[in-house]
Amino acid sequence: MSIEKRILARELWLAAARPGDIVKPIWFLLLVISMVPLALTPDSDSLAEIGSAMIWVATLLALLLNSEHLFQSDFSDGILEQYLFFDRPLAWLVGLKLTAHWLLHVLPLILISPIGAVMLSVPGDVSIALFITMLVATPALTCFSGLGAALTLGSSRSGILGALIMLPLFVPVVVLASGVLVRAMDGSETLPLLALLGAFSVASAILVPIAVSLAIRVNIGGSN
Amino acid sequence: MRWRWFHQWGSPRWFYERAGRWQLVCGWLSLGLIAVGTIWGLGFAPVDYQQGNSYRIIYLHVPVAFLAQAMYAAMSVSAVVLLVWKMKIADIAMQSIAVMGLAFTALALGSGAVWGKPTWGTYWVWDARLTSMLILAFLYLALIGLRASIRDPDQAGKVCGILVLVGVVNLPIIKYSVEWWNTLHQPASLKLTEKPTMPASMWIPLLINILGYYIVAAYLVLGSMRAILVARERRSSWVRELVRRV
Repeated sequence: MSIEKRILARELWLAAARPGDIVKPIWFLLLVISMVPLALTPDSDSLAEIGSAMIWVATLLALLLNSEHLFQSDFSDGILEQYLFFDRPLAWLVGLKLTAHWLLHVLPLILISPIGAVMLSVPGDVSIALFITMLVATPALTCFSGLGAALTLGSSRSGILGALIMLPLFVPVVVLASGVLVRAMDGSETLPLLALLGAFSVASAILVPIAVSLAIRVNIGGSN
Repeated sequence: MRWRWFHQWGSPRWFYERAGRWQLVCGWLSLGLIAVGTIWGLGFAPVDYQQGNSYRIIYLHVPVAFLAQAMYAAMSVSAVVLLVWKMKIADIAMQSIAVMGLAFTALALGSGAVWGKPTWGTYWVWDARLTSMLILAFLYLALIGLRASIRDPDQAGKVCGILVLVGVVNLPIIKYSVEWWNTLHQPASLKLTEKPTMPASMWIPLLINILGYYIVAAYLVLGSMRAILVARERRSSWVRELVRRV
């Protein structure tokens, strides 16, 4: 088995051993979505207007919640140090780990979003746009939250610091995604914005793992 | 010794003494410039026909807003120097500039709010420039928070350096996306006053003040760098000697 397959298989086993890590963010997402009509109004017209944006923000928070300790256990039990001895660049291995994280922990959040859309009476075509936007935008968000997790590895009491650091960097993604949703509600062309969002995701997927690997190296060096 | 000018930056003691002298020059120079610019601007520059006297806050607002962004540029230069040449003084510069940058950003937001009330009738609007300034403040805060959470100063410096460089790549994207977002949602409702071109008696004091604030920023950064340097080098002999002399 190649190193890549082994790493992916290990992530899969770990996720299977701790199903709670997958379930809890979904649970959180559904809870936040249920709070919206309670806090605002049960009127479905006003819900439909802000519903997609609310789901988007709630997903963002859920994603931050589950990426906070992305590297923590691998860091403390020395797996990340082992990564340094493979004949692969660290950035590549980090990219694999982020991909596995996206598949196991972020994709479920996206798959649950149509249910949230029904709960907030978001119209059908907008909820499809929301689903596609999330698919296109979450790779960038996963990379950045991974960076937050890697930067705070050496922190003594990191808490939600990783999320606080990374949220400002989410701004372009949030802005473009809201643009797609607004246009979907108008019924106008969304493809150019989705393409831009996709370009941002691709660029982040290529460049951010390099920064993540640098941060991991610094933190491993500092802990000795 | 061709590289002497470069290597001496590695000596904390050399920097401490040299920075003290630079600080003196910067302090007096900025005091003079800001005094001239402010008195001229507040007392003698003509009244704006649209905004009346309230426009005079530009003599504070524009310089600090310039600096809020210039500080990030200076910080990213320090980050490159730190990560490439491992120069400790660059780390100390980064640490000082992050705090000063946050201070200038807060001042720019605060003075902007005070200015916004008489001109726009509100303290805050989600204008593109205001929003990107706010995001900048959060980035400075992130750097300060990240550094505070890591105990080892060398490790903290490198980690912060990575974040600074990620931020510098992202800042233009953030700026443009926010500008685009604003034009999408509320096209040109409020802009920072499209004034007729200012007369010279208005912009010359502004220019003097901008220069003065840049130099006072250098003064503040140098002062804070010296303080951090002494704190980090507190176990070395030259600091002890310094303390004994005082």
